[in-house]
Amino acid sequence: MRLWDRILMSLEGVMIALDSLRANKVRAALTISGVAVGVFVVVAMGATVHGVRTSFQSDMDEFGTQTFQIRRRNPGFNSCDPTVDDCPERRYPGVSLAEWKAVRELPEVENAMAWLFGQSTITYRDRQVKNVGYDAQSTEWIQTDQADVFPGRTFTEAEHDAAAQVTLVNQKLATELFGDSDPIGKAIDFDGRQFTVIGVYHTKAGFLKSLDGRGPDTPRAVIPMMTAYRRMGVWRRSMMVMVRPKVEVSRDAAMDAVTATLRGMRGLRPAQPNSFFLVGQDKMMETFDSLFGAIFMVGLGLSAVGLLVGGVGVVAIMMISVTERTREIGVRKALGATRATILWQFLVEAATLTSIGAILGLLIGAGLAWVVRANTPVPASVPVSAVVMSLVAAALTGVVFGMLPATRASRLDPVEALRHE
Amino acid sequence: MSQHLEEEVPLSTTAERKIIVDQAGAAPSKEWVIVTRGVKREYDMGGEIVRALRGVDIAVRRNEYVAIMGPSGSGKSTLMNIIGCLDTPNEGEYWLNGQLVSTMKDDELARVRNKEIGFVFQTFNLLPRATALANVELPLVYAGISSNERRERAMEALEAVQLGERVHHRPNELSGGQRQRVAIARALVNRPSILLADEPTGNLDSKTSEEIMRVFEGLAETGQTVIMVTHEPDIAAHARRVVVLRDGTIESDERREVFTEKLGLTL
Repeated sequence: MRLWDRILMSLEGVMIALDSLRANKVRAALTISGVAVGVFVVVAMGATVHGVRTSFQSDMDEFGTQTFQIRRRNPGFNSCDPTVDDCPERRYPGVSLAEWKAVRELPEVENAMAWLFGQSTITYRDRQVKNVGYDAQSTEWIQTDQADVFPGRTFTEAEHDAAAQVTLVNQKLATELFGDSDPIGKAIDFDGRQFTVIGVYHTKAGFLKSLDGRGPDTPRAVIPMMTAYRRMGVWRRSMMVMVRPKVEVSRDAAMDAVTATLRGMRGLRPAQPNSFFLVGQDKMMETFDSLFGAIFMVGLGLSAVGLLVGGVGVVAIMMISVTERTREIGVRKALGATRATILWQFLVEAATLTSIGAILGLLIGAGLAWVVRANTPVPASVPVSAVVMSLVAAALTGVVFGMLPATRASRLDPVEALRHE
Repeated sequence: MSQHLEEEVPLSTTAERKIIVDQAGAAPSKEWVIVTRGVKREYDMGGEIVRALRGVDIAVRRNEYVAIMGPSGSGKSTLMNIIGCLDTPNEGEYWLNGQLVSTMKDDELARVRNKEIGFVFQTFNLLPRATALANVELPLVYAGISSNERRERAMEALEAVQLGERVHHRPNELSGGQRQRVAIARALVNRPSILLADEPTGNLDSKTSEEIMRVFEGLAETGQTVIMVTHEPDIAAHARRVVVLRDGTIESDERREVFTEKLGLTL
């Protein structure tokens, strides 16, 4: 048979499948719902993960592809378990002030921002905001975060080095503390230490910033790194440095320079491994992907169960279909249909059933993605690959599970089949 | 009139048939469409062996119009299934249009059915969801004919049975006689060697039966080989030659005139 006729006959099979769907609504609904659920799970998860990743990527891009971090510990899954004795990272020293300053002076480096985190309860007169996260950063933060400051100003190098008790608050914190009155020059209390508000800062709302409390909806403050280092009792060993290489210097060259400097300062012998980690955007992305990859695999597992349920349903409905249409199969055979022709016809029918389930699942999944996008900061969107994958998986399920009834149909004895009532 | 038909569609004689049937293993010449030699068919019905055919010799020359008669249990359905290539004999040879069919496998048989045989069934056996046109196109689909040619030939076949106006109707929108005519169109669309009809009037009233018989007669006159299986003597009497089966063997194989005279039928 010619290919074109095969395709036309397949279309006929699709029409027959749609017909029998109409004729047996409940049975068909049960069959396709399994597939629909399976596909829905994959699509919804795929859309969410895809959305989070897109957002993460744009956060990363904001830092610049050249930027990298100096950290004491490897982020995410790459880290070893610090409660285990042979985890070398637990003995690594933190990045010291001297090391930060040395990196900052390297000719390859445009700027290097030292960064500590802390949390305080902040009080202004009778108003109190509990557990406000703050970033203790060196003066470079204004470039790194691409923050706008208005009204007011950021702190100077001199204020930073002197560990001045000055702070910038975000709009949210300003509103909560001061209402409509001008925040500039107000004295506020960080766990008993008095700070002067010198500015209000505004950052772009990346999804990740929202997740770890640095979005515009969460009260937050920025103080000079040195102030936190000297006065706030933060855990100094956790200090990170964000390094931005000069434009004309490649990231790898800058990383090499930083590595050489730190190894020199720490007196590491050539045989010893680095006692620090340089983490670029690609590493961060890798960490993200391994985490969400794991979540996605769970989703795949769930959807496989859905497809399995749908597949069993396909076997049932197709078996009934074959029995009901035994005489039709006999007629087709009498008119010259070979085994392969009959097999193909029923496989197409099975694949149509599961594909309809997949389309249903896709629509529901896409609907959910839309709801998520409209109501959360996650820009969920259904990736094309998920659409293609679920359609292929569903059609394949139909073919695999349709094989048994289709084979049975193709092997029917024409004499018996024609006699069937 | 009778003389004229004899010239156009010569009946084979008993002597001619005996010569052909006796040449075991030899491929018959092209003018013999159907040759069976010692065909036996047994069924195992739950441990009990049923001998449906016990050695049947039949030879049918091209353009003959033959009825196969017999009471139920005589083996006529089994013989029809074998002649129609739906089944194969346990023993003996079956030559259809010069091909030895009795040793063929399933898919080869399917191709032979598609090419050589046009079936007309008692219950019409049209696909209920398909239009008359789609039903008639079906054998051409399996033959791998392009869709344009398919449509053209199916239309021709339907027009030949006076259904040119109803090609887009589904079977349930057609009368019994019309359905059977669609089935005849479907049977003929592939230009088969034989038209094989199984009780073609069994589900029709007598008036419609006559109408269908006239269609068959017209086909026989134009040179189509027709094999008709029936248990009704007055339907069998429409054929030029009547083969009567009893207990799995041929009881008689004679001209219509001899057959009707014996039964006292008037035509």
